[in-house]
Amino acid sequence: MTARRHLALWFPFLPSERVKPLGETNPFALVERQANALRLSALCPLAARNGLAVGMPLANARARFPQLITAPHDRQADHQELARLATRMMRFTPLVTLDPPDGLLLDITGCAHLWGGEEAMVDAVASDAAVLDAGYSLRGALADHAAAARALVRYGRGQRDVRALPLAALELDSDATRGLERAGLKNIGDLATRPMAAIAARFGQGAVVALRRLLGEEAAPTAPLRNMAPLRFERSFAEPVALQATIAACFRDLLLQAAQVLEQRALGGRAFRLILHRSDGLRQHLDITTSQPTRDPAPVLRLFDERIAALADPLDPGFGYDRITLLVPATQPLSARQSDLTGEGEEDHALADLVDRLSTRLGAERIYRLAPRDSHIPERSQRRLPALHHSTPKPWPAPDREEVPLRPLLLFDPPQPVTAMASVPDGPPLRFRWQGQLHEVVLAEGPERIAPEWWRLPQGHLTDHGGLTRDYYRVENAEGNRFWLFRHGLYQERHNPAWYLHGIFA
Amino acid sequence: MLSQGHLHEIHAGLQDWAAALGFVLGGFGAKAGLPLVLVRSPRGIAKHLRLHGEGLLALGIDPARLLIVEAGDEQDMLRAGLDAARSSKLAGVVLESWGKLSAYDLTASRRLVLAGERSGVGVAVLRGDAPPRPSAARCRWGLRALPSSPQPAKSLGMPAIEVELQRQRGGAAGMSWRMEWDKEHGIFRPTTDSAEYDSAPPSGAVVPFPAFRAG
Repeated sequence: MTARRHLALWFPFLPSERVKPLGETNPFALVERQANALRLSALCPLAARNGLAVGMPLANARARFPQLITAPHDRQADHQELARLATRMMRFTPLVTLDPPDGLLLDITGCAHLWGGEEAMVDAVASDAAVLDAGYSLRGALADHAAAARALVRYGRGQRDVRALPLAALELDSDATRGLERAGLKNIGDLATRPMAAIAARFGQGAVVALRRLLGEEAAPTAPLRNMAPLRFERSFAEPVALQATIAACFRDLLLQAAQVLEQRALGGRAFRLILHRSDGLRQHLDITTSQPTRDPAPVLRLFDERIAALADPLDPGFGYDRITLLVPATQPLSARQSDLTGEGEEDHALADLVDRLSTRLGAERIYRLAPRDSHIPERSQRRLPALHHSTPKPWPAPDREEVPLRPLLLFDPPQPVTAMASVPDGPPLRFRWQGQLHEVVLAEGPERIAPEWWRLPQGHLTDHGGLTRDYYRVENAEGNRFWLFRHGLYQERHNPAWYLHGIFA
Repeated sequence: MLSQGHLHEIHAGLQDWAAALGFVLGGFGAKAGLPLVLVRSPRGIAKHLRLHGEGLLALGIDPARLLIVEAGDEQDMLRAGLDAARSSKLAGVVLESWGKLSAYDLTASRRLVLAGERSGVGVAVLRGDAPPRPSAARCRWGLRALPSSPQPAKSLGMPAIEVELQRQRGGAAGMSWRMEWDKEHGIFRPTTDSAEYDSAPPSGAVVPFPAFRAG
């Protein structure tokens, strides 16, 4: 077996440096709630140098450094950032292992010569754009196996030999470490000269395993991230093709290939991109998106047909295409499906198909469902969710017990100005004129007063800056038509408030 | 309830538009749980009209079931409506149109009829501000609002409409009903105490369709 080489990377201040703004000169720390007290959970190098420590209560730290800047600790985001760095490191070696919470293990066997030797490679990693731009502190150490490299980077002070490391590198619990130190052992090398049986008897099998792993006598397997080949399918032609039938057949072949690969990976495509390379160098892109993951060529083909039909100027093959590429940029897990014996569940499929087709033809934002939003202002109380991206409808609250509808079926956006006449200034309108037609109000209910959302306005908390209150009236005219009118502003807010028609009731 | 698998045409004015929408959505909505598709292609002042989720909720229709399609022009609307009518497992397809709708001729309406018959999905074309024109639709309805029945303390009663069956393919026409909203079922139902509309059938608004089809 050939000797392997491992490079361990350690980002000692990853959590704080991820959040800390670049160029910040004050000490910075992340805090977390532990047992009802806010405690420091991660520090920046400056804070660490100034004597702050992880686990210290925030109040104590603030007493020492009033200028301390803090932010909440988000461990999930830390992990995502580490995963991002890991993907980035795949340009150095295909075997990258996450070492949470703040380390990476790179198996660089057979890769170092590409970067001009091991030292040059470490420099290249340290000066990688992803690390430099974010301003992360980084330490690296090389060893023949992963456990040793990991211990060297975290506990070594520039040593290259594991035997010179302190006993803490074993990462045993504090009692065991102290026990070993009391026995007069200073470093790993000292411990390695002792009989293993005695160590096992005193400190348990775990201590022996940790020691043997550091020394490379026992394997410490790692689980590198899987490096998936991108979903890219291509067909090149010896001669440019311009015949539509040939192109369609080729495209079908590519989709079948993609379907095979997607099936192996138990994935379904959410987006497909077709790139047509014309012989004169022009590239034409066609994109489609589906509301549900799919790998069935037929609906994808149909969607591309819709896409081509919706193009402003038709595809011009010119002297022909000499290459056709199919990319699947967005995927989602999709396990193999067996159709139900009763045929139920097909309805979702049929609806998703309809949504995909209409979204491809008209644009995703024009096929939508209404979803509730937390606001009392009628026009703000709902939003449109494109059905393509939100395939399951958002539930609405249960309807109120009121018999007669209090809200109109249709809203005017913007509200239509009307001229209205009321018997008393604060009362419901007696008659109003809309679009040149006079409506006599027979029945009226109201007012329903809806206050403005003053917190949305700058200076809204001050008197007279919070916006205008609306008084809504439900009125019925002589013909039985129902309208939702409102007076924009109270009489104490405004001298001559205007009337608007905001909706029509069923 | 509007019959499934047929094409209905509803004529109404701007003021009665919400009532017409309620009539159609309620008429199709009885098959609870299935999605409704509403294809909109408004013009003029109707361009400013938006569906209001809380209003749908107040009528007893779940807004989450409603899939709204904003079609650009008439052609897009008819095409989208046709696509929707072809897909089964829908409670209904409603096309909201304004003005002359020149693309909606005998051929276009016949396509909608065939698609609806094959999939069993009810299709309704709402026509605002438009003169009736020949089409292959099974029924043509005229709709206008009526004053609500008097309530104590001059408050508003349940919404009321007058629906007139203007034309029925292979059947009697010219009847009209007074209907009131039934919130529990989310549908307009004929009121029984309307003496002046005595041509109304004794129960339900289902139009008695004859077994044969003319034309």
